[in-house]
Parts: sequence; structure tokens; C-alpha cells
Amino acid sequence: MEFIAYFGNVFEPTAFLLLLGGTIGGLILGATPGLSPTMAVALLIPFTFQMTAAHGLILLGAAYTSTVAGGAVSAVLLKIPGAPANVATSLDGYEMAKRGEGARALHLSFLSSGVGGVLGVLLLIFLTPLLSRWALAFGPSHLFWLAILGVTVIGSLDSRSFVKGLLSGCLGLWLAMIGYDDIQGAQRFIFTDSLAGGINFIAAMLGIFAVPQVLDMFAKGRSTAAVVSIKVSPQSVGDSMREIGRSGRALSIGTVIGVIVGLIPGVGGQIAGLVAYDQTRKMSPHRRKFGTGHSEGVIAAEAANNAMVGPSLVPLLTLSIPGSPTAAVLLGGLLIHGIFPGSDLFDNHPDVAWTFINSMLIGQIMMVIFGIMIASWAAKIARAPQPVMAAAVVILAIFGTYSVQQSMDDVLIMLVLGVGMYFFEKFGFSAAPLVLGLILGPIAEANFIQGAMIAEAGDGALPYFFGGVMNLFLIVLIVASVGYSFWSNVVHARDRTEAPRPDNPIEVTP
Amino acid sequence: MNARTTLLSLAAGAMLAWPVAAVAQDYPDRPVSVMVSYGAGGATDFQARVVTMVSGEEDYLGQSMVIVNKPGAGGRVGWNWFVRQAPADGYTLAVYNMPHFLAQAVEGGVQFDIDSFEPIANWGADPAVVIVGKDSPFNTIEEFVTYAKENPGKLTVSGAGLFVGHHIALLQMEQAADIDLAYIPSQGGGSAAMTAVIAGNVMAGINNLSDAYRGMKAGDIKVLAVADLERSAEFMPDVPTLMERGIDVDDTSVNFRGLMAPKGTPPEVIEVLAEKVPAMFNEPRVAEQLKAGGAEVRVMGRDEVREMWDASRGELEKVLEGL
Amino acid sequence: MTTTTTANRMQHLVPASAVLALAAGVTFLSFTQEPAEAFLFPRVIAVAMLVLAVWNFARAALGLARVGSGVSLRPFLNILPGLAVVVALIFAGLTLLGFYAASFLGFLAIYTIYDPVPLTHGGGWLRRIAVSAAFMMVIYALFARLLQVQTPQGLLF
Repeated sequence: MEFIAYFGNVFEPTAFLLLLGGTIGGLILGATPGLSPTMAVALLIPFTFQMTAAHGLILLGAAYTSTVAGGAVSAVLLKIPGAPANVATSLDGYEMAKRGEGARALHLSFLSSGVGGVLGVLLLIFLTPLLSRWALAFGPSHLFWLAILGVTVIGSLDSRSFVKGLLSGCLGLWLAMIGYDDIQGAQRFIFTDSLAGGINFIAAMLGIFAVPQVLDMFAKGRSTAAVVSIKVSPQSVGDSMREIGRSGRALSIGTVIGVIVGLIPGVGGQIAGLVAYDQTRKMSPHRRKFGTGHSEGVIAAEAANNAMVGPSLVPLLTLSIPGSPTAAVLLGGLLIHGIFPGSDLFDNHPDVAWTFINSMLIGQIMMVIFGIMIASWAAKIARAPQPVMAAAVVILAIFGTYSVQQSMDDVLIMLVLGVGMYFFEKFGFSAAPLVLGLILGPIAEANFIQGAMIAEAGDGALPYFFGGVMNLFLIVLIVASVGYSFWSNVVHARDRTEAPRPDNPIEVTP
Repeated sequence: MNARTTLLSLAAGAMLAWPVAAVAQDYPDRPVSVMVSYGAGGATDFQARVVTMVSGEEDYLGQSMVIVNKPGAGGRVGWNWFVRQAPADGYTLAVYNMPHFLAQAVEGGVQFDIDSFEPIANWGADPAVVIVGKDSPFNTIEEFVTYAKENPGKLTVSGAGLFVGHHIALLQMEQAADIDLAYIPSQGGGSAAMTAVIAGNVMAGINNLSDAYRGMKAGDIKVLAVADLERSAEFMPDVPTLMERGIDVDDTSVNFRGLMAPKGTPPEVIEVLAEKVPAMFNEPRVAEQLKAGGAEVRVMGRDEVREMWDASRGELEKVLEGL
Repeated sequence: MTTTTTANRMQHLVPASAVLALAAGVTFLSFTQEPAEAFLFPRVIAVAMLVLAVWNFARAALGLARVGSGVSLRPFLNILPGLAVVVALIFAGLTLLGFYAASFLGFLAIYTIYDPVPLTHGGGWLRRIAVSAAFMMVIYALFARLLQVQTPQGLLF
């Protein structure tokens, strides 16, 4: 209970102002397309040079917390995931916003972010020593199987066509291999100079989500029908809170998955949302409603995203190992103040460590309050006429993509992938498995190669990849996941293919 | 040449022709981009952000420096981009990591070499160190070498990637001590390689002194030796150099970091940079914060860096010859 | 009136063949390129992709592919002018004119093309220009001022 003694530090005037600034700034940065939490925190590091260690970390902690949640804003309202973590949020969130329920979707996403986030930080406070051992339990063979487990999720992530879902996933895996191979340094599938740098993940993500949606707006043409604005229904905070209260299943699945995935170094929060979304869908009685604007999808994804924030810092704070890119940036923020994270951090600098963690706890609550304040206002964006929306999304996607690496090649890749995705989507291929393939490809490959190298120096590949309780447990999970997908998608395919879901309706003008 | 390339080069030409003329007198009159060929959060990125933080002050450039990350393939992606596409107007600079970029140039398969860049100044040096987990049976570098001799190819050693400082140090050790190690390059840079050592996925590792210093203080790892000419008096005075212990490894693998410009940058601009940038690196606030992070400050001017590059290239050719 | 259609068999064959050709090409490259060890993982993925692409092609050929609405002519034609603006922007406009000037023109062009208000209506033009300018100011404040992103300067801005 030591941490309670340090709550006072968070509420002294300067600290609290920084917390407020970090939260509001974080929400704005998070909502900016292309600006991931990692980049947002890296941008803020120079501002902390002149501050005391505790103040600097309050700013960084608050910003980290709220950029992760802020990404939901553009994911829901524009279908541009603000950061990789928000991909799953956009799947149902944008459908809700299209119905005029943007405020509801945002309320739910901020509230579930808050619940997941607070639980995640509490876990960080109480169970850190225990969890740090868990974070180290994953060797290359386990991470490889874990990535494969993620790949099998790909098949079921797309509820419409099993084979096309898997195929989209494979396309993603292949796209991830373009460019220089990180370990061997060999050039792979570089057909033009523009691809020499590989496919930047954020460029790909903006392309395959934002561009098809813009083209869909273009497709409606110059009709007055397209301009008739959506009625944006007001949403009371009380209703949203009651709805969250009723959604215990999505909330708990999201939080648990966010915590577990967040702890594993190198896998990070990028897939937490998608995995949680998929698991919630599998366990929900309203399985078919997912993807059509079902609130459970938003709740699970956002709870997972923010639940992973606290645990993802466990390896950093206890072992000085940054488990995620954002944690690596935060490590820099600690180092410039001469604070070395490690097992003795809480003994040597309890004031800084606890103030930092407390600021994330309070930051979560601030984030919910400010998030809800902007939600009803921001949801009115849906009322903008379609031509304005289309133009705005195009420009935002271009600037967002360009700003990641200041590269025109990325903008080009974004456009090409986006236009391709638009046409493939019209034939039942889908974006979510492709994104998952893009994320998991490098993780699976690097760990496979490393594992193979270690195994070669040791007892050989068979015992290395198939020996031990954890490997076997993961393999069993993979078999179960494939079996489930196969059973529900192929054996029971008949009733599904005969009633295609109207997700991409195109107007047929007589 | 296809139509697109032509168009782009036309566009680029139009873009360059205009501002360059105005550059000479009042450079810089807008913020300067600094490309880091590693991801945000790595040691290079972090140090680059620290050393450029005072750039906006009147005593130095009077314009801020903005970090742009272009990570991939141990730095090749970023430096390839820099030599091919960066405008040579002084508004786009890059961080070099020695010996990484030279080793990659010697090894081949990249579009840059020693002559593609104009050095500006060096800010720091980070030697490679040999580390093992805290429960490892190895307590000295001799025990490590003895084990490697008895079990050729069985001693797994992690490092940040192929043809980076860590890999060079390992190759030098293999040659000098006549041993055969199993090098396991990691994908996530130095911190992933460190994780592999702490978690016991590999038996040993080669890592940055700055990162190992933290791990050593926290008691998670043991540092066996430093691959440099002298011990690090400041951070780990008790750790011997490889040379002291009879393994003839010099300072070729020491990771030098500094700023460089693309070839073709106007000489007046380089002059301005060569004068102001070392002064900026010498700023006490910068040195203090680098030191706090466990990084040794070693400021070198343009000519000194040029000499170091030349010397190092010859050495690297020797090391990489046998591969 | 919005109705949902399902693309016909011929239409489904187009993407199915495209993906099959891609999978075949990737497989070929993976097994022929050097160094072989760097293409180990691509081989695994390429084979999986090829098998799935054949399966998918067979389903399309047999008329079993029913998911997806397909593409019809009218919406496709509607897309073209907007897409042309985006392509012009990305391939030439941004670097030639400068990011902000080109984006302003691109925004205005897209808005004008898809705005049902007739082009002869003066007030319509006023609103379109005002909205485009206001939007670009927000973008400028966010990217150039707050985030300090360096964009190509171009001829204008």
C-alpha cells in the first residue's frame, strides 16, 4: 500500500497541470492519424529535459495513457485507426458512427478504456514482482507459436469467408516480408525503389482502412442523397455507464487478454485489441452482429488496448527491458533524469516510481472525463457532408502517412494498397486479417529463425520447438483454434454463405 | 526510366533548385531534419534526441532539429534512403553509427560507401561488452573462452543484428581467440538481445556498454569484458578489456555516433555545421544528460571523424575478409 | 433505394485469378531467389498462399463464391474523377506545388466534384473555398506547428 503515500505528489499544482496537459495533448495526438503512442511520447521527451524527474514522468505517463485511448476517436469517426492498437475499434465503432451513434461508441470506448486501464495499472502496482517472471518466460520458440496462434485467429477474424480470410492474412504476411530482411539483411521482393524501405505498417494501415472508405463515398457520386446528413443521436453519460455495466463479458475478456498480451515483450499492444475482439466475438451469443456496429466489439477492443498499458511497463520497471517500443521511449525519459529502472527502482527512487504509476492511474480517470466531454461534440463530425468527409479523410491520410517517416514512398504505398483493398473488399476479402498478418509476420519469422539458430547450437529443432509444457500448451491452443474455425466456418458454412451479410452495399441505380 | 520517376525527379529538381540558392547566407532559416536509421526508443534515437535538444538556441543553430526515424535491416534502410533521396541542402542530416554503416558498405548489397557522406561531428562512443546472465556459470572471460573451445559452435551469443558493432566484436573475438561461437542476431535491436541474455534464451551476449551498465547495476547480468583499448574508467572500472586478457581485439567495434550530411551539400553549409555542431555537443547540459544515461561523451570535429572513418574502413576489410 | 447484390461468377473470377497469379509469382520467387536461407520463411507462406489461392479460385470457378457485392459500372465511374485528383496529388502535386498548397487545391477539387450544389451557384463556391481553407489551417497548425513535420516546399508552399 506504499503507493498511496505518494498520491499527494500527483495533486500538487504543477504536477496536476502537467497531468491535465498530458491528457488533453495526448488525446489530440492520439486522434491524429499516423501518430502512434510511441511517436507521441518520443515527441514529448525533449519537453521533459527541463523538468524534475517526477514531473517529466507524470507528463509522459499521462500522454501514453491518453494517446492509446485517443486513437479511438479517429478510428470510430473516420475509420482511420489513430494507431495500430485501434484497428479493432474501428471495425464496429465506425459502423456505429455511420448510424449516428458516434457519441455512444466514443463513450463506450473511453469508459471501457478507463476500466481496462485502471485494472491494468492496479495489476502493475500489486503484482509487478510476480509478473516480471512471466514476462521472461517467453523464449523464441514460445513467441513463434504465439504468433502462429495469432495467425490462426486470422482465419476466424473474418466472419464472411474462411478461405478469403486466411488468404487475406497470407497477403499480409507476404507484404510484411517486402524489403530488407531484418536478420539476414537480404533483399526480398523489392520490385521498385519505392519498396526498398519495406511496407511501413502505419502507411499500410491508413491505406487499407481509410482509402476504401473514401472510395465508397466517391462511389455515391454527385447525388444530393449523399449530402443528407446523418442524424447524430445524443447520448447521456448515464446510459453509457449503464451499458458498460451490462457488458461484463466483453469488458472482462478484453481486460484479461490485454493484460496477458501486454506482458509479453515484443508482441505489445498492437494485437491485444484484435485478439480480444476475436475472442469476445467467439464467446458472444450475438456473434453475427459483430462487424455491423455492435457495441461489444468496441468495448472489448478498447478495454484490451488500455489494459495492456500498465503490464507492458512491468519488464521495463523491474528488469530495465523495454517490452514495447513505447516502453523503450519511456526508458529514455527515465534515463535522462539519471533514474535506472531495475529491481531496485522502488527502493532507490520510490517517489519517482510511485508518482509515475499513480499519474497513470489518475491519468486514466482524467482521460475518461475529457474523452466523454469531447465525445458528443466530436460525434457531430458525422454530420459533415460526404464530399467534405471524403476530402478531409484523403488529406489526413496523406499527412498522417507522410509524417511517420517523411517519405513520399509511404504515401504511394498507402494509395496503392488502399485502392487494391477497396476492390478486393468488394469480393469478400477483408482488411482486419491482412493487418494481423502484417503485424505477426515479422514476429513469427524472427523468432522462428532465432529459435532455429539456437536449436542448431543446442539439441536440435524438434526438442526446442516441441519440448516443454509451454510449447505444448501453445500448440494445443493452435490446434483448438484451427479446429474451431474449421468447424464453424466450413462444416457450418452452408447457412452462412446463403445469407450474405449486407456489409458493403453498393447502390444499384436503375 | 518510367514516367513516374521522371516526374518525381523533375519535381525534386524544381524543389531543390529554388531554396538552395538562398541557403548559403542565412542557413539555417527553418528546422533541420535529422534521420535516425533505428526505431524510436533505441539508444541511438534517445541519444540523438538529447544531443539535438539545444539546437534551437541562438548560440547554436538557432533552429530546432527534428528527429525522423527510418528503421530497418540494421540501419541499411535509413542510410540507403539518405544517400539516394535526401536533399543535399543542409536541411536533412543523418546520424551515423560506426562501424555499422561502414561494415555494411564493405559487406556489400547497399547503395552507400564511405564517400557517400560528409561527416560533421561525433558525439559519443559506446564500446561493445561481453555479458552473461546473473546465474551463468561463466564469471570471467577466460571461462567463456575455455567453454567455447571445448564446445565449438555451441555457445550461443546474442547481438543487435548482422554487421553492427556487436557482430564485428564477435567476429574479432572468434579470430583472436580461435573459437567458434553461435551468433544469434535479434530483430528488436540491442534491447531484444539483452532480454535474451537476462531470460536465459542464449548463454551470453554482446551488447552496448551503456545498456549493460544498467543491467549490471540492477544485478541482472554480469559483464565479462570490454571490446575497447582501455577500460571504461567512468562506468565499469573493474571490467577488463579483451586485450588485457590476451584476446587481441581492438576498438574497431566501438559504436561511434555522430551527425553527417549527404555528399553534395554546399561547402558553406557544411562549414556552418562543422563549427556549430561540435559546440552543441560540448554543451554541459548535453554531456550531463548523456552521462546520466550511461553513455560516454566523445566529441570529435569533422576532420577527426574523417580520419576515424578511413582508419576503421581498412580494419573492417581485414575483419570481414575471411567471411 | 439501396439493394444488396452479390457479384456474379465472372466477376468473382477476376480477383480470384489475380490472387492466384500473385501467389504463383511469390512462390516462384521464393524458391528461386538467393540467399536461400533468407527465403525459408517466405517459402512456407508462399506455399500456404498458393494452396489457399487455388482453393479460392476453384470456389469462384464453381460459382460457390458468394460473399461480396462486386463492382458495378455506375459507382465505378463515380469513383474515377475523385481518384484522379488523389493520384494527381500524390504523384505530382504535393512535391511540385508544396504540400499545403496542393492539399488545399486537392481538397477543393474533391469537394467541388462531389458537391451537389451547382457550379454556377456563387455561394456554393464561397462555402467550398472557406471550408477548404479552414481545414488546411487546422492541418497546418497540427502538422507544421505542433508536430514540426518537414514537408517538401515546392513552388508555392
